[in-house]
Amino acid sequence: MATTSEAVRRSSPGLEIGEKPVLEVTGGRGRLSRESLRELWVFREVLWAFAVRQVKVKYKQAAVGIGWAVLQPVVSAALFALFFGRFAHVASEGVPYLLFALAGMVAWTYFSSSGGTAMESLIADQALLRKVYFPREVLPLAAIMAGLVDLGPALLTLLVAAGLYGIAPSVAWLALPLPILILILAAAALGIGLSSVNVYYRDVRYALPFVLQLGLIVTPVVYSLNAIPEQWQTAYAILNPIAGAIDAIRRIVTHQEWPDMGITFGALAWSTVLLLLAYALFKRLERGFSDRV
Amino acid sequence: MTAALSFQDVSKHYRGAQEYRALRDDIMATVGRAAGRKRLTRRVVKALDGLSLEIPEGQSFAIIGPNGAGKTTALKLATRITYPTSGRVRVRGRVGALIEVGTGMHPELTGRENIYLYGRILGFRRSDIKERFDDVVEFAGIGPAIDQPVKQYSSGMQLRLGFSIAAHLEPDVLLVDEAIAVGDAGFQYRCIERMAGLVREGRTLVFVSHDLSAVETLCERAILLRTGKIALEGKARDVVRAYYESVHTDHLSQADVNGRAAGGDLEITAVTFHDGTGAKVEDLRTGQPVVIRLHYRASKPIRQPLFSVGLSDGRAGCIFIASMLVDGRAPRLIGGSGHVDCVFEDLPLLPKTYEVWGSVRGEAGFGDLVDWQRLRLVRVRGEVAGDGVSAVSSIEWAPVKVPYHWRVTSEVGAD
Repeated sequence: MATTSEAVRRSSPGLEIGEKPVLEVTGGRGRLSRESLRELWVFREVLWAFAVRQVKVKYKQAAVGIGWAVLQPVVSAALFALFFGRFAHVASEGVPYLLFALAGMVAWTYFSSSGGTAMESLIADQALLRKVYFPREVLPLAAIMAGLVDLGPALLTLLVAAGLYGIAPSVAWLALPLPILILILAAAALGIGLSSVNVYYRDVRYALPFVLQLGLIVTPVVYSLNAIPEQWQTAYAILNPIAGAIDAIRRIVTHQEWPDMGITFGALAWSTVLLLLAYALFKRLERGFSDRV
Repeated sequence: MTAALSFQDVSKHYRGAQEYRALRDDIMATVGRAAGRKRLTRRVVKALDGLSLEIPEGQSFAIIGPNGAGKTTALKLATRITYPTSGRVRVRGRVGALIEVGTGMHPELTGRENIYLYGRILGFRRSDIKERFDDVVEFAGIGPAIDQPVKQYSSGMQLRLGFSIAAHLEPDVLLVDEAIAVGDAGFQYRCIERMAGLVREGRTLVFVSHDLSAVETLCERAILLRTGKIALEGKARDVVRAYYESVHTDHLSQADVNGRAAGGDLEITAVTFHDGTGAKVEDLRTGQPVVIRLHYRASKPIRQPLFSVGLSDGRAGCIFIASMLVDGRAPRLIGGSGHVDCVFEDLPLLPKTYEVWGSVRGEAGFGDLVDWQRLRLVRVRGEVAGDGVSAVSSIEWAPVKVPYHWRVTSEVGAD
């Protein structure tokens, strides 16, 4: 009796062979491969969960809540309108300066805040890195995704403000996803690249706010792309994709025209290249994260 | 036989003695090298050093060894929390792991949200998690707190939830570090019971623990790790015994006794065992009279100290406790150095490794002179079942009632 049941029990697990996932890890550095993307796809729900978590955590104990997403660009745009527009008479392409600055600040706020949060993400969740596995790029990517929750209301505010200034919706608004995609790719490149370096050099977290401050000056956020010498404008707006994205948003929303496609697709391509480079760097450094955070 | 977990010549090196690196340090190092200064050789810590190991599916396996032997590192490699410096790690099947307290818990999220998040990290679909959600919550025993943020949980609650998630989301391979030792006694018992249940279902268990008795109860095979290398591999019972004996010769089991409560007036300096004739023995024998001798040192006379001694097999609580709190046989006054004997006429324990626990309470039970703690390990040998008894003994809880009486020597001047 006993032997029979024993034999049955032994044989049944054999049927499952092949069903179980097999994981194999060897020593050495990691690298970006098709496998990385496949795994990221497997962990898409985790990415989503992290993004949702980030949004929840961010506004959990904030009285104004999601209002901050609107307040930040609006208040800074209002101040710029007062000091730059009214007092300093900075040129704004013939558009009311407040609207002009708001278009720039909405984009810049998304880029700098989600890029900055992404840069900090690995350090902020170091307990997780040490305790559980997931593709580590999930953390900075989640920060970039969570930032979109802020970008949405901010963009809506921009469109409403445009309406208040008597600018009617136009068919060009259909092109709005293009500059937004540029912003996402650029923020992801910044966040993924710097978050990995930040694990090894904590200098990054001190340097980035400063660099972003400089970025606000060198990027046509509160002034026009036209302020750049004309022969450099296209190249500049591509190499600094944020400049390209902001210019596209202004043309679409405040000028009711199609964006400069050369700049837009150039910036799109360049920010994709930046993202891939950042991702490759990230994957190369990834294996050391949990030992170093 | 398919391996659930295999290590092939795996090494893991850490660069020691360097916490955070600032850019400045690397720049200075580069400049230094350029200036012809010799590169500082960093101390390399070899957490694992050429480990090769195969754990077949369905086996309950233990990794034991002293602190810093690389036990936790081995688990972290199997879960891809960290990566090997060289070698190959292979895992077959879904892995549930409890490596540290609060594994994968996010403090701002509720218990419910954490279960889903962690489940997804482990690779489960939402529907899979939903199916098992109630089991997880029930086992964790956190009730309505499931909808509170985890930051409001006690560490015990976090631990329970963490273990519950790892052990209920149907892992093919369950990795458990000594983290469960943090839980309260009842929870530890349920953890071990749950692990035993998973083993019976044919899951693979890898258990890292200092709790040798629990290892022996739970695991079939074991390795002993020392400084990143396998010192011994074999039946859990044999490995535990060998380790226990090596610890014994290291005097660790003696040094283990550092019982000293806050006041510090009383100290238990050693625990020794004696047979019926009073001769000192290293091992206890089943069915024989046994004396457990608590050696103490009192820095001042202590009135009516209440000694307690208990034996545990590594599961929750003790199998039995002999306590002066209960029987009231406290010495009137002790002082200086001496010992207290707890005499068992007939030891009804099966051959295995046990833990000796003890405490000393102050007069009338107020205040701990020596906290309740594990004092040392002891091995019971005997002919009753000899070495033929399966190392995987029954997990059922079997309290033992033992007749005993106290005998105190060196009682200082009565009244």
